[in-house]
Amino acid sequence: MGRTKKDRKIQMAPHFFGFKPQGVQCKTGEDVCINFEEYEAINLCDYELLTQAEAAKLMNISRPTFTRIYESVRRKIAKAFIEGSSINFEGGNVAFADWYKCNQCKITFTLPVNAEKCCPFCKTQVIIENN
Amino acid sequence: MIIALATNENNLNATIDPHFGRCNWYCLYDTETHKNSFIENPARNNQAQAGCDAAELLLGENIRLAIAGRFGLKVVDVFRKNNIQMVIPETQQTLSEIINHIK
Repeated sequence: MGRTKKDRKIQMAPHFFGFKPQGVQCKTGEDVCINFEEYEAINLCDYELLTQAEAAKLMNISRPTFTRIYESVRRKIAKAFIEGSSINFEGGNVAFADWYKCNQCKITFTLPVNAEKCCPFCKTQVIIENN
Repeated sequence: MIIALATNENNLNATIDPHFGRCNWYCLYDTETHKNSFIENPARNNQAQAGCDAAELLLGENIRLAIAGRFGLKVVDVFRKNNIQMVIPETQQTLSEIINHIK
């Protein structure tokens, strides 16, 4: 059995679901799925212009892992562009920065500044920080 | 403490809306008086900035906590600046279930 993937820390998920090609009457190929860590990789590297090492640190993964994710997303984008397939954003092993989780209430939440670190619903202090 | 819940219908059996800015109604629940009221979201069909306008409206109602399926980038900024807590339930729950949970 393969090793399970660690969660990659991302700042924010995309606010739309993907792209589709213009002027294509019927679907030509399979859809391309870009998962959230790949979206974050291309965001940090090519939009915010960080180096791969800096981006890897932000996502809490090693530099070689980041390079692998980045290469994979570049290939996927190229495939979608050339073959005219639509791109969907979905899935991935991700955790959001500065958000917390309570396993009992099954909620994700933020904490106000200077507040006690506890779940807003059940007030338990057993919460998981996404880092 | 006043809590805002984003929802698509104005009754307590409705579920939490998947998007904060584009929902039809907000349920305001007061944890001290245990009363709830519904206000319509005037910004839901805006081309842009729907979440920000809705957030401004709710800030006027003095909320301390907001619950929705997802918060947009700008809304997160506004709420973080105003020190408002955000909650995203991971399972599909109705308003009354969540309100019973808070009580």
